[in-house]
Amino acid sequence: MIEKLKAVSPWRRFTAQPGNVGAALRKNSQFLITLAVIALAATFMLSQGSGFAVRVIQLSAIFAILAVSLNLVIGYTGLLSLAHVGFFGIGAYSVAVLTTHPAYEQVPGHIRYFDWPFFAALPVGMLVAGVVALFVGGVLSRFRDDIFVLVTFGLAVIAHRVFLFWLPVTRGAFGIHAIEKPSIFGFVFDGKTEFMLLTLGFLALVVFVSWLVVSSSFGRVLMAIREDEGAIEVFGYKARNYKLTIWVISAMMAAVAGGLSASEQTYIDPQSFVLLESIFLVCIVILGGLASLVGSLLGALVFVLLMEGMRFIDFIPDALVGQGRLAILGILIVLLMVFRPQGLVGRYKL
Amino acid sequence: MSSSAAERGQEYALETKGLLKQFASVKAINHLTIAVPRGGITSIVGPNGSGKSTLINMLSGTLPIDEGMVVLDGTALRVIKPYDSPSHGVTRTFQEVRLFDQMSLWDNMLVVLTKRNVLGALLERAGTAHSSRAQELLEMVGLWDKRAAFAEELSYGQRKLLEIARALAMDVKLYLFDEPFAGLFPAVLEKVKVLLQDLKKEGKTIIFIEHNMDLIRELSDYIFVLDSGELLAEGEVHEVLARPEVIEAYLGT
Amino acid sequence: MLKYLGARDGRWSVSGLLTQRSLSVLLIAGAVFYVVLILAQDPQKFLQFTLNGIVIGAIYAMVAMGFTLVYGTVWFFDLSYGAMATIGGYTVFYLSGQQRTIGRGSIHNTAVDIFVGALVAGVVAWVLYTWLYPNLRNRFDRRLLLASGFVLSILAGGYTGFLLSQPLSLNLIFGPVVGVMVAILAVWLLHLALGRPKTTSLKMAVAATVGLALGAYTALLLAVTPGANLYLSWVVGAAIAGATGLALYRGLYFYLRRRASSPLIMLVGSLGVLLTLTALVSIVFSPDGRPLPPPFGETPWRFWGASIKPFQVFNIGFTFVVFAGLVLLLFRTSFGKAVRAIGDDEEVARIVGINAPVIIAVIFALGAAIAATGGILLGEDLGIKPTNGLVLLLKGWVAAVVGGIGNIYGAILGGFVLGMVENYGVWFIPAAWKDAIAFGLLILFLSFWSRGLLPRK
Repeated sequence: MIEKLKAVSPWRRFTAQPGNVGAALRKNSQFLITLAVIALAATFMLSQGSGFAVRVIQLSAIFAILAVSLNLVIGYTGLLSLAHVGFFGIGAYSVAVLTTHPAYEQVPGHIRYFDWPFFAALPVGMLVAGVVALFVGGVLSRFRDDIFVLVTFGLAVIAHRVFLFWLPVTRGAFGIHAIEKPSIFGFVFDGKTEFMLLTLGFLALVVFVSWLVVSSSFGRVLMAIREDEGAIEVFGYKARNYKLTIWVISAMMAAVAGGLSASEQTYIDPQSFVLLESIFLVCIVILGGLASLVGSLLGALVFVLLMEGMRFIDFIPDALVGQGRLAILGILIVLLMVFRPQGLVGRYKL
Repeated sequence: MSSSAAERGQEYALETKGLLKQFASVKAINHLTIAVPRGGITSIVGPNGSGKSTLINMLSGTLPIDEGMVVLDGTALRVIKPYDSPSHGVTRTFQEVRLFDQMSLWDNMLVVLTKRNVLGALLERAGTAHSSRAQELLEMVGLWDKRAAFAEELSYGQRKLLEIARALAMDVKLYLFDEPFAGLFPAVLEKVKVLLQDLKKEGKTIIFIEHNMDLIRELSDYIFVLDSGELLAEGEVHEVLARPEVIEAYLGT
Repeated sequence: MLKYLGARDGRWSVSGLLTQRSLSVLLIAGAVFYVVLILAQDPQKFLQFTLNGIVIGAIYAMVAMGFTLVYGTVWFFDLSYGAMATIGGYTVFYLSGQQRTIGRGSIHNTAVDIFVGALVAGVVAWVLYTWLYPNLRNRFDRRLLLASGFVLSILAGGYTGFLLSQPLSLNLIFGPVVGVMVAILAVWLLHLALGRPKTTSLKMAVAATVGLALGAYTALLLAVTPGANLYLSWVVGAAIAGATGLALYRGLYFYLRRRASSPLIMLVGSLGVLLTLTALVSIVFSPDGRPLPPPFGETPWRFWGASIKPFQVFNIGFTFVVFAGLVLLLFRTSFGKAVRAIGDDEEVARIVGINAPVIIAVIFALGAAIAATGGILLGEDLGIKPTNGLVLLLKGWVAAVVGGIGNIYGAILGGFVLGMVENYGVWFIPAAWKDAIAFGLLILFLSFWSRGLLPRK
């Protein structure tokens, strides 16, 4: 009896018939979800004032760069990586170390100064991340599924320890202070709005490049690797090369986010690059939708609003806000896995 | 053993020499030496566990070769990597259909048509390149209308057809079909039959595994009978299937 | 497919010269050289490092055993396993918080009592419904059975809540329960030892008498020893974590697993559970680290310049007790046979009539209880922290993989190997590199011995 009721629930019956409102809703659910999320976000941000909006957009743009780049690996290639925070950190530390100015230095005599401009340091950061990714990817290419996840867990922990203990370069737990804002042709991106625009510009670039990648034949091969690596190899594709390539591309994009984040905060320390950040990123990607670039943008926006929005809920003490967000995020992930494994707007199910 | 084929004055599409595959203590393929004539349809039969699928897996590189060598198109190979098999002129289907489930039929077809090297694939737009060939093949197996659906939404017969179409998209000389007719309804079965015969007309070499004797008699020109990884018999279909030891291997035990 | 990690992609192909065997020899030689080097450098320090390695290795082994038990049965990585360790540690903290005022005085929280009580009530209801009810429903009135089951569950939940609210009299409230458990355990063990080939009534009578005497003695001993509260709280911690594990399986993983197309769905789902539980613990008890009351005294035993605390010795011994218990359970009982059958092939196990969902649920409870024990032992040694669960989970995971995943012998070996390697590894470098070394070991092992030291069959 119960089985029967389940099979033909009113909602099912309503939506199954073509041509009615329900069917239209189902068909366009992705578009509608996108609209709803953006509308909600915009209303909330505007109600809190423009300063808040700028902050949220700025933060979500950085998270969006990370999420889009991670989605290339998780959603399109099927490699659930938790090591992304490492590349994020490499980008951040590269920019921080290379741009440090002696005048701002707080512990003199401990580190070499480079005093490079931001726009010269960022490509170097990307290059470093890319080279590291190439080596790490070589090791990773022999693991699959859950063992792959375990090894990337390990890589994230190792990366954090390197940031923490490679004192001559990273200055350990003390961190690097007074990181310069980017400037080009005498124009300095020092205002909040200017920096937001810069970040959005980079986001647009990253999304464009990602779109180029996933809409090429290369992107389709990646999805085939995700579906059945053994089968696609029989058709003449060397899956290892494809996986390494996307891994390196993704790492370089994460390094861009790292550089921007370091410059935006003007201060970094290893605590920003712990395993938890990687877990957040995976949550964003899954929340938004696997193998969907729009999904990653939405996921980042929802995530940042969730994080920032909880500050405005009165009855939660400030000290618990961080933990409260974590709890909500965890519950959200469980619910997603149970009810909507394809995320908000994705089509691919894990 | 291969002298009978040689007498007919054909050259071989495929030869194996002393091929060995061992799983723990079991020799799935035991020093197998066969020669497959060029062109036409060759069937491989044998009881379950006789090493038919293992042989196909080794020829296509899905399983590494333990010992011996394979001569493909005149080139002797001791190692076949799966990703090299198309360049040796081999493609295949799988016994348990292996499609790219969460990709559209359209993508399932196109993915085997595009450029193989990373850079070339990166510079090729997914939507435009090779689309006419993909359309032709999808129409051939009657799945063009479903091109936007995910492969996981198809029925079993349609999945089988799509997999065969995917193999046909590869422009190679030797096609390996692992039980292409298993579990198909008569209508779909006829369709697959026609596809195989058309392929033969194009001058390709086809090897397929099958249990149904009527189909084998109808389709194949040449036959190999395997038993416990060893060659039991080979030759013209009607002659071989009449031999007492072959009948015993199938009906006995 | 997933069962044998190595069978999937274990080929090493940099060049023909670097065969697996020559690399193994090279690695072992390097390890031996390293150990001899540090031994020659400072024997006293070496002894201390070895002891540290064994102590921490015992905890890793404990966690790895539970982990491998669960993984070897259901073949997916349950990340929420880490939260079970946290729950165990914090239960002990919760029950001992009023004895030692730490920071903000009483940490008592009625919401926690009610929540845990409800959880236990639910689990007891499930146990009664799936085990007792099918056997009894044809002999007794069903409505009566259901009603009494309901009342029993409520009573059990209420009892647990009451227990949590009265940590000072734990020995009076919970002592008798432990006595009954000891009695049952003793009878079962004696039954295994005496009566396995042919059980006579005389042997059973002897077993029952000895068991009851032991149980009564335990209850009495606990009741007259106020200091027993700490040890009782360990049992409560393991039990609550076990109940949580069972509830998680029946409430979530069971359904997720039926539909999951890939092991990653389970992995991400359990990651969500881990995040939630860790965050909830942080909200209730603050995210900072806390000490637990020291058992067996603080004074360390010293010999040859090295020191080890009495508790640490206990903790090594206890790991072996749990190991022995698990081996007995897995290889000497029909339950263990069923567990191994499910681990080998769940479909086949179902077909031959094994009630897989129930057995898996029990395995989850058992695994969670073992994780909690690991969490408690670590907490007693180094203090507790909500995020320790994740750390312990990763270490247990690494130890299980190094030892050979799915194999209980491998887990205990892997735990000790991991502990030793971590400690010897930080001889020349800061101790905080330990985690990095653990994962370096993991990557090395997976690359060369992808099936671990003692592969499952």
